[in-house]
Amino acid sequence: MENLDLGLMLMAVGMITVFAILLIVIYLSKLLIAIVNKVAPEEVVVKKTAAASAAPAAIDPSTMAAIKGAVNIVTGGKGKVMKVERI
Amino acid sequence: MTAISNIIADPSFLAMYAIAFVLLYLGICKHYEPLLLVPIAFGVLLANFPGGEMGVIQADSNGMVEVNGVMKNIWEMSLPEIAHDLGIMNFLYYMLIKTGFLPPVIFMGVGALTDFGPMLRNLRLSIFGAAAQMGIFTVLLVAILMGFTPQEAASLGIIGGADGPTAIFTTIKLAPHLLGPIAIAAYSYMALVPVIIPLVVKLLCTKKELMINMKEQEKLYPSKTEIKNLRVLKIVFPIAVTTVVAIFVPTAVSLVGMLMFGNLIKEIGSDTSRLFDAASNSIMNAATIFLGLCVGATMTSEAFLNWTTIGIVIGGFLAFALSIASGICMVKIFNLCSKKKINPLIGATGLSAVPMASRVANDIATKYDPKNHVLNYCMSSNISGVIGSAVAAGVLISFLQ
Repeated sequence: MENLDLGLMLMAVGMITVFAILLIVIYLSKLLIAIVNKVAPEEVVVKKTAAASAAPAAIDPSTMAAIKGAVNIVTGGKGKVMKVERI
Repeated sequence: MTAISNIIADPSFLAMYAIAFVLLYLGICKHYEPLLLVPIAFGVLLANFPGGEMGVIQADSNGMVEVNGVMKNIWEMSLPEIAHDLGIMNFLYYMLIKTGFLPPVIFMGVGALTDFGPMLRNLRLSIFGAAAQMGIFTVLLVAILMGFTPQEAASLGIIGGADGPTAIFTTIKLAPHLLGPIAIAAYSYMALVPVIIPLVVKLLCTKKELMINMKEQEKLYPSKTEIKNLRVLKIVFPIAVTTVVAIFVPTAVSLVGMLMFGNLIKEIGSDTSRLFDAASNSIMNAATIFLGLCVGATMTSEAFLNWTTIGIVIGGFLAFALSIASGICMVKIFNLCSKKKINPLIGATGLSAVPMASRVANDIATKYDPKNHVLNYCMSSNISGVIGSAVAAGVLISFLQ
């Protein structure tokens, strides 16, 4: 009976502590987000230039040769590379 | 001079070999937590060869062990003396495990491999990591009713935290004689997460609940918190959390502190990349090997083949299932009071077992709706569950040690 009382007490204290700590962590994180947003500058995202993204980049001749060679081997010489596009 | 006559005289050794072979099979062929189960299983094998002196001899509550027929206090013996009189495995056990050294080291590695980004992006969901600790305390109560001492009951309940190092750390502190079966139960059930979570979810959740699309809910009710610099936030976060936990639950600092330290050296980036590499690879791997072997070596036939082990296996499953169920129930209660609905799978992942629990939950969600990817949201409660179980362990240790 004494042990059961101890178990019940541990259950109450344990669950309250776990909830309290995680709530503190959540609100602390919100506070940190607010501080970081205010103090630290935003992350600089390097954007691709419009020209670079608009024009498809040319495929390097050695890469093209490797692709053609691989297709040749896989298809037994029957396949032909018509177009290579960067996705 | 062979072990054959001893094995014939005491066939319980054969049962331990069978257990070791089953664990090796599960680890090697079924890929159930092989990084831990294989060293544990091999440790079991090593510990049960008569004459090999590789089994761990547990000291009693006063630290007394029998050495060549003489009772000696283990804490008054030097390490070379332990190695000489009790064998190399006892040397490793009393130096690395009994001192509580390895679990925090492993936590450092876990921290180095953890990304707190999903948690910081979905802070609201982190609270379900607390609800899922209910299984720990419920099983503690049940175990006390079954006749376990409070220390043993706490070590049994902590299996529900689904966190191997936390379970081992708590057991070392409270009931070291149960270390073997508790570690085996904890890691076995963690390996069975893909079976246990779907089982509990099927029992408690409806199809409609499982189809709640978190992204659509996010579009309907957008979050007010916007993170402008996640990198800086991720560096500040481990420092702040360690400080808070250290103030409120000092006994949990060895686990949470090391977890956050590992995470900090990861998030700083190139300046500490060598430390990160050591923490997440060489140190973590070495610690895992010694932890596994030593835990396995505690499972000698006399320590393992008893009714307590069966109680631990049943109690461990109950703790695990109850933790998942309480997370789900908390989400259901939350959904009753909020317009912004939450998929109950996020509650189910409130127990640790990162990231397997989240992956399993995501698989369940996409089964009902292929476009409903909940992985990121589940990771939030999953990661907070690691902090939650470490705090629960800290509470248990501070009251019962």
